Amino acid sequence: MAEITATISRPQRWDVPFDDKMDAAAVDRLLAIPPFSRIDASQFPKSTPLRDILLNDTSLRVFRKGEVIVREGDYGNSAFFILRGSVTVTLGKNAIPAALLGRRETRKKGLLETLGQLWGNPAQPEMRDVSRYQSAKTAARGGVESRGPFGRTQSPFQTPGTAVFLHDVPAVLKGGTATLQAGVFFGEIAALGRTPRTATIIAAEGSELLEIRWQGLRELRLRAPEIKQFVDENYRKYSLENHLRETPYFKDLSPAELKIVADQTRFETYGAFDWQTDYKKNRDTDPVARLRGEPVIAEEGQYANGLILIRAGFARLSQKYNNGERTALYLARGQMFGLREIAHNWRTKESTPLRYTLRALGYVDVLVVPTSVVEQYIMPKIPAAEMPPPIPPLQGNTTLVSPLDQVHGKIPTDFIEFLVDNRFINGRATMLIDLNRCTRCDDCVRACAAAHDNNPRFIRHGPQLGHYMVANACMHCLDPVCMIGCPTGAISRDATGGQVVINDTTCIGCSTCANSCPYNNIQMVEIRDDRGELILDQEKKPVNKAAKCDLCLEQVTGPACVRACPHDALTRLNMQETDQLAQWLQR
Amino acid sequence: MRFARRRLLNTLVLVAAGAAAWGWVRRADTVLQPTSLFTGLALLAVCLGLALFNARKKLPFIPLLRAATWTQIHVYVGWFSILLFLLHVGFRPPSGVFNITLAVVFGLVAASGVFGLVFSRVMAFRLTLHGENVMFERIPALRAQLQREAEAIVVKSVEETKSTTIADFYATRLQPYFARPRSRLRHVLGLESPLKGVLTDLRLLKRYTNEREHAILAELVDCVEAKDNLDFQLAGQGLLKYWLFVHIPLTASLLILGAVHGLIAFTYAGGFR
Repeated sequence: MAEITATISRPQRWDVPFDDKMDAAAVDRLLAIPPFSRIDASQFPKSTPLRDILLNDTSLRVFRKGEVIVREGDYGNSAFFILRGSVTVTLGKNAIPAALLGRRETRKKGLLETLGQLWGNPAQPEMRDVSRYQSAKTAARGGVESRGPFGRTQSPFQTPGTAVFLHDVPAVLKGGTATLQAGVFFGEIAALGRTPRTATIIAAEGSELLEIRWQGLRELRLRAPEIKQFVDENYRKYSLENHLRETPYFKDLSPAELKIVADQTRFETYGAFDWQTDYKKNRDTDPVARLRGEPVIAEEGQYANGLILIRAGFARLSQKYNNGERTALYLARGQMFGLREIAHNWRTKESTPLRYTLRALGYVDVLVVPTSVVEQYIMPKIPAAEMPPPIPPLQGNTTLVSPLDQVHGKIPTDFIEFLVDNRFINGRATMLIDLNRCTRCDDCVRACAAAHDNNPRFIRHGPQLGHYMVANACMHCLDPVCMIGCPTGAISRDATGGQVVINDTTCIGCSTCANSCPYNNIQMVEIRDDRGELILDQEKKPVNKAAKCDLCLEQVTGPACVRACPHDALTRLNMQETDQLAQWLQR
Repeated sequence: MRFARRRLLNTLVLVAAGAAAWGWVRRADTVLQPTSLFTGLALLAVCLGLALFNARKKLPFIPLLRAATWTQIHVYVGWFSILLFLLHVGFRPPSGVFNITLAVVFGLVAASGVFGLVFSRVMAFRLTLHGENVMFERIPALRAQLQREAEAIVVKSVEETKSTTIADFYATRLQPYFARPRSRLRHVLGLESPLKGVLTDLRLLKRYTNEREHAILAELVDCVEAKDNLDFQLAGQGLLKYWLFVHIPLTASLLILGAVHGLIAFTYAGGFR
């Protein structure tokens, strides 16, 4: 029997704090200023007390004038609270030229490192460098990038350390700006909503900020209503107008008009934030019952009370079809519903009702701009060429076929139902396999293993519709619910590409992400040392780590699975890019 | 690009390349150029290039075009190599033991390649149509599990009905059916599988069984059908994997024999004089 030798401490949530420079004095200082001073510490459980959250999940950061704090398009895993000074928010898309933002690309393997995989990959599965874990805390406290297992570069922190300065901010700005003063939160939408940053924010002067990683922010919002209220008020005050300005049809509004529209806009939330729990429980039930159980946001046949903008999550667009309901399309963040009906009624003075029902798929966060506001402020500004086409009248009792159906008719209805029912619409890099071309050679699996230290990171198996299979590979979701419960932030988005990646060093093997993933695309693996022996904790239990597809982030060629398929059977597709999907289906 | 368009484009390029090669050889022949030497060298180079596909497969992370692009090149250059071979031998059967051996090996490589191409396109369809898609490596485990399920059904039948009709049938007819993979060749060739016979025999049992046993027989039918799918998947996926075990070693032999042949021909021809 093999001798078991390697033993390490079982990893814990705060083994690697967000910033080791945070101390009791810094926490005392925070607790003396609002809104933290108003928090009732007794509402926090003993396992995660308020003081420990502030000590381990926050970082005091000083920014010099012109220093970039967050960049538009980056995936953020933390929010900021301005303690001192002020920051400039750049408004409008690409307000600062990308070249000036110093965006750091994920490090790719060099040619020699790439070739080295041919002979350097370990022979045993899931091998790790034990010393890596033992020195993790030390490495983290040094604040330096550390080497991951087998030479992979991994940063224990989510925030890149290199500062980027814009020395002459007004000169490089293309759009307008807004200023946020001390006492304001920002970045919480991206951090909690698992979405990209919508604006670049620069220190307007020497400023001190409290950076809170999202795990801590989540606890604060959950236990302290003051923080939740504070954050929500901030959103309405500072971010809503920016959000609306970036929405098509709203961009031509004057600042005064935009403010009126923002004031009239309602926030509505449907479904649960951690929707995956219910989804997993109910996914094998009758699809009709499931559809009827989805919260209705707006119903077919009703008058359009407002223009609905999807702020986060997904919605199903369905239409009555004889005795059932047919899914026509799915909507995600940034898309809108009801504009065509409102525009039609505004032009013709008719009262044509909504032609589709909009239902929440899991968790949906919407903004509702009342119809009267849309008619008064938006409609007159839309150029005739951009105006949605009129709605043709219903003929007899035939089922309405709208231009929307025709556009998306390229994707068969049953395929849309399949994607929606299984929530594959969430995927940004969904692995689709055409089984009519796949010869089951497993070259894709072998390539994946070769690119990951001989460990395949997906299974060539999964739900099927006809000759299409969605394989069990991480889809790098638009809404990665796997990140919700991670206590250490080990699972996070890559700042540039948005791929969902796991930091092997800070993963404590709690399985929360694997259990949360609605698609069973994360595996828990028992790790081994370089002799192939299991690595154990003090209680002699095997240490587990979460493992999944990382989209070959470090490989120069991109996903090895796609490149390795000799028969054009496998692809990775963003389910929001319906045109690409249709093209692939119609090859 | 749609597959049909790609196929048409590649075929046009192949035809153009083939016509150019043919034209060049005919013209070179008329001016007494050593065309056999040129076509032989070209053929050897093409075969080496084709063989590199297997090496590319071992290097998935090297930026050397997608494997699918390599497949396309492999297929069409493969067809081109057949024309080159025919031009090389002057559309006549070769003479001499060595040359005949070389020609036979080339023929086998080409034939196995064409077989692989056609089979992989056809079998992929058939595997999808036939039933549940299962992983090749898991088939033995799934078969064993099915056998256990079938045995449990039979035991249940005896306990519940106090009748041995189904158990007797299982012992004589179904036990061998579940015990190992069956009728690989029939599955591959698309001939009638033993499933129909087994199902017919199961239906015949109805005259000796009561209603409760009919329900048990229906459960057994499910197991039998699932086993048939496993056999089909094993046969189809197996051949899809194993045809390469013929094609690749033959290619290696071809390259060695071809290199020796080239060396001899080049030596005796006195080079490019």
